[in-house]
Order: sequence, then structure tokens, then C-alpha cells
Amino acid sequence: MRLENNLKRYRFEHDEISQQDLANAVGVTRLTIHSIETGKFNPSTLLALKIAQFFGAAVEDIFYLVEDEHKK
Amino acid sequence: MKNTSKLLRNLNIILGVLALIAFVYAWGVLIRLQPKMIAFQELTRLESSLLTGVGFGLIIALAFYLLSLLQVTRTVKISEELNFFPLLLIIGGVLSVLFIFSNIALLGDIHKQYLHELSQPEWSMVFPILGFQSIVAALYLYLHFSGYFVQKEKKNIVRDVNIFLVVQYVGVICGGMGLAMASLGFFFPTGWSLPVHTIIAGLTILFPYALAVIYWVIIKIKEKDWIWWDEKQFLDVGKSAMLTLVVNTVLMIGLFIFNIQDLAGVVRMLWLPLYLFMGIFVFSLGNLFFSRQE
Repeated sequence: MRLENNLKRYRFEHDEISQQDLANAVGVTRLTIHSIETGKFNPSTLLALKIAQFFGAAVEDIFYLVEDEHKK
Repeated sequence: MKNTSKLLRNLNIILGVLALIAFVYAWGVLIRLQPKMIAFQELTRLESSLLTGVGFGLIIALAFYLLSLLQVTRTVKISEELNFFPLLLIIGGVLSVLFIFSNIALLGDIHKQYLHELSQPEWSMVFPILGFQSIVAALYLYLHFSGYFVQKEKKNIVRDVNIFLVVQYVGVICGGMGLAMASLGFFFPTGWSLPVHTIIAGLTILFPYALAVIYWVIIKIKEKDWIWWDEKQFLDVGKSAMLTLVVNTVLMIGLFIFNIQDLAGVVRMLWLPLYLFMGIFVFSLGNLFFSRQE
């Protein structure tokens, strides 16, 4: 199983907020937001909660688990 | 902030003009004196004092590069991304700073060899280095004049990443140059001197890296919440530290085995620079690699 997310969609639905502005709001670097969006980095629970809180959404609306293809 | 920027810009323009004059002066003096020194012809008192002026000129250029580097990093700090051009400016500036010290050392060696009527192969390095420094100084001065650094100051960045990356680039340059310097001593041990080639050269090469790290620490202190890295950076730094430990352990074991018959030889003077510069090089390169894995 791996973690995926709708972060990019949420950013665009919220006035197309930039990665830098989101990073500023949740106290991380722009590269960290970029890495989460591209699936290269899984955020901590704390950061996932902060992001969800920022968008006024539930964590599982933004982050969700998917089965790995080869394990099916 | 705006006042500091204006002050820095004006100071940089004054120093830049002085530095360019110093370079023109250095070119003039060295082109005039080179044939005489190679032929071991006697220099007049005036000509000897002209050489001292070249040294002073290089010190002015050093001040200009350092202040310009401060201005570039201030600009990079509030830019959204660390782009290629500012990175090129930083690399050019750091190399120019290191080359100031190497030029002073080369000119010192040339003067000593001239006094002892020895050949001066160092001349072949002096002019290309001077050329590189002159181009970088002219480019910096043009950018200060054009207001390139002042215009960019607008983006609000809560948690820095650009300066962290700049420190890593500087670390790769200084680590690489330090490794090259230590390797020279390892492969060509004759004439290697502990105080000059290991301590002074080592400290000189460390100088830009130390400045970059100090600047980064100041920025972190200004962020006030004492979070040195965010969670992704923390992971990257951890991976780089692990990589550095492995590489340095292998290097040190190799060095020990390779020199087991002669541990009192050149390795006695070189284990520290090899260890230190390999550590800085691998750690910085690792941080760049892992942080760019987006």
C-alpha cells in the first residue's frame, strides 16, 4: 500500500494558492510541499493534519491509501 | 530592509569600481614585470612597490566579492526558487574568493623564486585566474548597477530552503577543492609542508563554507522557532549523514591500510584534510541529491 494525495487539486480549488504560500502556512519548505505532491515524500501525521486544517478538509479527503499494482 | 539593500548596493558599486580599477592595475603591473622577473632582471624600488599595490588591490576585490555574495544570497533567500543564474553567480563568487588567496600565494611564490633566481611556472596560472576574477567582478558590478539584486526583494518565505541549498553548493565546491588539494599532497608528497599546505590552505578553502554556514545559522536564528530543518530536510540530512559516515569510514580504513608501513609519513599531515573535506563534499552532495529528488 502507498500513500497518495489530492494536494495539487486542493491548491487549485483554493484560489490556486502557490506551493510557497501553502508551505508558509503550514511551516515547511516549498520543496517539501512539492515532494508530497509528486509522491516522493510521505508527510508526518502532524503535517498532514496541518494541511487538512488549512484547507478545512478531513485528512482522508486529501490523503488516501492505494494498493500497489504488483500485489493485486 | 530597503535601506540595508540600498546601502549594500551603493557600497558594492563603490567597491566594484575600485576592484575593477585594481584588476586593470594588476594586469598592467604584472604584464610589465613578468618578462623582467622571468629574465631575473633587477626590479627598481618603484617596480617592487607596484607589486605590493597588486596585493592591496586583491584585498579590495576580496571585499567586493564577499559583499556581493552577501547581496546574492539575500536575493536568493527571498526568491521562490534557486534558479540557475543566481547559482552561477554564487559559484563564480566563491571561486573568485578562493582564487584571491591562491593568487596572493602564487605571487608570493613567484617573488621568492625570482629572488632565488628559480624558474616561475606559476605565471601560467596567474593570468587565467586574474581573467576569470575580472569577468566575475565586471558581471557583479553590472548587476549592481542594473539594480538586479534590489528588484527581486519581495517574496515572503517563512521556512528557508534556498540558503540551505546554497550552503550545499558551496560545500561541494570547497569540499571538492579541499580534496583536490589534499590529494596533491598525497600523490606528490615531496615539498609538502604541514603549516603552509595543510593548515593555511585548508583554512583558506574552508573560509567560504564557514561563511555560508554562519549565514545559514543566522537565518535559522531569525526564524525564531528553532526548527533547523523541516521534516523532509531532516530526512535528507539523515540520509546524507549516513552516506558520509560510510564513505569516510571506507576512506579512512583504506588510508590506514595503504599507509600501514608509513603512518608517520605524509598521511600524518593529510588524514585530517582528507577526512574533513571528504565529509563536507559527500554530505553536501548528498543533501543536494536527496533534496532534488522531488
